[in-house]
Amino acid sequence: MHEGSITVRLPADLREIERLNRIVRQFGDLHEVPSRVLYAVNLALDEVVTNVVRHGFDDATGQEIEAQVIARSGEVTTEIADAGRDFNPLKVPPPNLEAPLAERTLGGLGIHLIRSLMDGIDYRRENGKNVLTMRKRIR
Amino acid sequence: MQIKESKQGEVLILTISEHLDSATATVFESRLLGLVDRGERKIVIDCGSLEYVNSAGLKVFLLAAKRLEPLGGKLVLCALAPSVLMIFEMIGFTRIMKIVPSLDDALKALGGEAAPA
Repeated sequence: MHEGSITVRLPADLREIERLNRIVRQFGDLHEVPSRVLYAVNLALDEVVTNVVRHGFDDATGQEIEAQVIARSGEVTTEIADAGRDFNPLKVPPPNLEAPLAERTLGGLGIHLIRSLMDGIDYRRENGKNVLTMRKRIR
Repeated sequence: MQIKESKQGEVLILTISEHLDSATATVFESRLLGLVDRGERKIVIDCGSLEYVNSAGLKVFLLAAKRLEPLGGKLVLCALAPSVLMIFEMIGFTRIMKIVPSLDDALKALGGEAAPA
């Protein structure tokens, strides 16, 4: 893997996620990020941006999300910043994976995927923004 | 995403392809739940051409399975790519949904006959 980084600013719109994923895929190919890692990073980015667009704003029109992907020293780090309402995804309770079908609920699936896919997640509120940092190791 | 629909006996087969994500999940949801509302009780989702699914898409499978169960219906998923199956395992859906390797297996699971060769 080659070291490098990319920053993408995208409108807070669900239709932009596929474009973000395409850009990150190109970055990953160029920097020889293993496809398994790239897949996990893209899915995690998708989940975070989906959450921000859906729940971050009363009206997402005109809002932007900034996503940074860094390939460096054996891991890929992504940082997502948004000026939406204060939201720490690490506080979302995990879904009960043991529950029978009738008792399974729809909430928390995205956050659970992020936790499962990534090796480390940190959240901070900084200058009026949510900043979520996720790390994925290249094993 | 593309959705194709076909019927084999009592079994309704939905073939979905490409990306099932936040932008496309609502279309898939209204289509699938619409079929349940119309009275379909044995539904196969052929995921052989599905390349990508996120939690918005996963929720649609869960909603449909939950709605079918008390109606005596059944949802069977087949032919998931390894990367897609991994996500289903991660979220615990392999415990609560019938997921089989091929369309033939899906039809057999629903008591129908295998598709003609």
